[in-house]
Amino acid sequence: MAERAGYLPGLDADALQWEAHNYGPREASLLVLLPVLKGEQITTVTQYVRSQACARLKALPVGQIVDAIDLAVARLLDRQDPYRRKMDNLLPVITGYDREMVRLGLTGYLKTFRKPELQRFLVEDFTNPSILDDFQPLAKGGFGRAFGPDVLGHIWAGNVPGLPLWSLAAGLLVKAGNVGKVSSAEPLFAGWFAQVLAEVEPDLADCLAVVWWRGGDAEPETALLHQADLVLGYGRNESLAAIQSRMPITTRFLAYGHKVSFALVSAAALDPSRAVATARLAAYDVARYDQQGCYAPHVVFVERGGAVSPETFAHYVAHGLAALERKFPRGLLSMAETSGVAAWRHSEEMTAGGQVFGDEAGAWTVSYQAEDTAFRPSGLNRTIRIVAVDTLAVVPTIVAPFKALLQTVGIAAPPKELFALAAALGEVGVTRIAALGDMTTPEAGWHHDGRFNLQDLVEITEIDGRAEAASDRLAPYVD
Amino acid sequence: MPIDDPLNLNRVMPAEGMGIAHMEYNAIVADLLDFIAVDGPDEAAFNRMALRLFAYQFENNKPFAKFIRARGKTPRTVQSWTDIPAVPINAFKTLDLTCCPHVDAVAVFMTSGTTLGGLRGKSYHSTLEVYDASMSRNFAKRFMVGREQMDMGILFPTTAMMPNSSLAHYLSLAVQTFGTSGSAHLIGDDGIDFERLMAHLTRAEETGQPYGLLGASFSLVHVLDELQRRGQTVRLPKGSRILDTGGFKGQSRELDLDEFYDALYHTFGVPRSHCINMYGMTELSTQFYDDGNAVCPSVKSGPHWIRTRVVNPLTGAAVAKGKAGVLAHTDLAHFNIVTTILTEDAGIETDYGFLLLGRATGAEAQGCSMAVDEFLKAAGAA
Repeated sequence: MAERAGYLPGLDADALQWEAHNYGPREASLLVLLPVLKGEQITTVTQYVRSQACARLKALPVGQIVDAIDLAVARLLDRQDPYRRKMDNLLPVITGYDREMVRLGLTGYLKTFRKPELQRFLVEDFTNPSILDDFQPLAKGGFGRAFGPDVLGHIWAGNVPGLPLWSLAAGLLVKAGNVGKVSSAEPLFAGWFAQVLAEVEPDLADCLAVVWWRGGDAEPETALLHQADLVLGYGRNESLAAIQSRMPITTRFLAYGHKVSFALVSAAALDPSRAVATARLAAYDVARYDQQGCYAPHVVFVERGGAVSPETFAHYVAHGLAALERKFPRGLLSMAETSGVAAWRHSEEMTAGGQVFGDEAGAWTVSYQAEDTAFRPSGLNRTIRIVAVDTLAVVPTIVAPFKALLQTVGIAAPPKELFALAAALGEVGVTRIAALGDMTTPEAGWHHDGRFNLQDLVEITEIDGRAEAASDRLAPYVD
Repeated sequence: MPIDDPLNLNRVMPAEGMGIAHMEYNAIVADLLDFIAVDGPDEAAFNRMALRLFAYQFENNKPFAKFIRARGKTPRTVQSWTDIPAVPINAFKTLDLTCCPHVDAVAVFMTSGTTLGGLRGKSYHSTLEVYDASMSRNFAKRFMVGREQMDMGILFPTTAMMPNSSLAHYLSLAVQTFGTSGSAHLIGDDGIDFERLMAHLTRAEETGQPYGLLGASFSLVHVLDELQRRGQTVRLPKGSRILDTGGFKGQSRELDLDEFYDALYHTFGVPRSHCINMYGMTELSTQFYDDGNAVCPSVKSGPHWIRTRVVNPLTGAAVAKGKAGVLAHTDLAHFNIVTTILTEDAGIETDYGFLLLGRATGAEAQGCSMAVDEFLKAAGAA
């Protein structure tokens, strides 16, 4: 049975060209049909979404949009719901991630899009979310109202299942029509979400579209870039640069590109009663989605001087990874990925003072470095470099040259140290500090790469305070 | 000979009992030359020679011995050449892999250094006698196919221009050993000498003497582009052959192999079955060839003194025949350095050799996370 990807209001599905893609191992493979859209069809679907969004979505109060997303998410949180069952059954095949990891990951993730979380999401960016519905008084005087784009274009990556929901929800909350392009690495989630949303709130059914075109085909991409009022891009810097080069100068492009994350473990966290649990949390951050998200750690800097040495801590992390491999086995790797891990492992073995340990099959690798404190990314897919340092205070200097690439830092340290480190790390470009174990699950309303998820999407129309006063003089009831 | 070690920090003092080590060295060179010269020695002979070289390298190269011990092996515990731990080619950049002191090296072949950190992998050759014997015997069989000499044009710089290039040495050796007096290098300081190339091709057409055009794959692409621009094609005489090597990875233009060999045929009149691709590496002293490219990808194979295994690069275990893995080569001719290497090339074992699938690495993270290569690129740009 073949699964069709995409969600294409305003287009006749039977008139489209569909391309078959096989996912998963041969014995349990899944056939997915991807719609091969051309520039003209992108233009058609985008114009349709624009007209529908303007007619329907813009008229809805933001509270109703929150309710609609909440309803759709409630359906997807129900494990008996047919769409949720599809997600649980098919996403592991598509992505290669362990089934349980996907199931637990989806539930945890979807929970951050329920009504209370969406409300938090809104107030994080707008002190008064009604500013999306009507003019609201501004602190400086006068009134302001926030308008989202008529059409928000999304170019998604396929590294972590469910990722498109972030920007889709954001787009809907600011009342934008949404046209998102899925990655062939994970082409299904976004389309399913759109279908569920359409079922629970028919008013929104034609306000979003999920599209696809062949990688490297510039024509449909250019069509979207020219039709959209604002474009969000996720993925590799090279792909984003290519998109940027095709953007019309009048359209804004918000690019979420390559980032790396790492972790810090203070000597204070290394007492015998806590070190094992801390290491287990670090191992969890490494194992979750096999380090394919930018919030996953590549290096753990461990401070010397605690009751448990950095080397012993490295062994604890190894133990944690071994346990997680039994619980959530790592996904199957492609040749290139296996080679990437091997090349990384081999280069780690060549350093002075390095010790590399991993399981026989290569499912995980820990490289413990006593001397080489360099900040280098891991080999991905559950490989981690654990670096011993005399004090964590040196770490900001070590990572500072990579300012543009830094994102999340997982920290295990007492409060005073946490804030001191956070200040130093913020200065060198780190945008998120998390507890170990939470690195890969950002909370609702987080500032992705340090930015405002919703504010960045809107334009404020303001009524100058004096305009209000001036209009008073023209009121029919003026004395 | 320029050696990239001005302060001589890497100088390895000659082993004590130099006399004995030297005797063993001389015996190895002599035996290897014999081994290369014989016809089809058996598996046991290959194994004996591989283990003997393994023991020799273990004895005479400390970094190599350390690497082997770290893999939990010693010459005592290794009974079969397939159990010799393969040295990743990355190690050629950081480890000093040579059994002879650097100053005694007659040639140092280096990789281009375009990869990680600009470090270049190095192979120190104490003698080129074995390399040359390996190259000549194999080249005679696989490219010359019975012909003693041929008019040749080389689309690659000379050894004088690139003293550390194993390919420059290889091609110079080809032209010296198998080229007629009318043969020449067609690349000078200003790049490809098209006028001279055209003169060569026209002369071949007129005389009817088979012509061999040899060079880097991307140089041939430049020639194809230029001839197309000029609207010129030639019909090289029957028996002419083309040898390309290196592929297109990292070049300004990547060509589909079928497109490339079709273009060679249309431009030079050399049938695809006579277009030979050579697969070689700086980290080896022996090359692999296919028997023409009528069908792509072609099956590559080497002579009896090199063996190839297709392995999982993480575990080193052989993968099932017909499955893709990474190529590990055991090249007896690379005796002064390391005989068993783990490449970064993907391949599939077949009945008569292996299919080369291209570079195995270059893994990319799927989204916003980063693989090492991407990080270095981004960090470099940042």
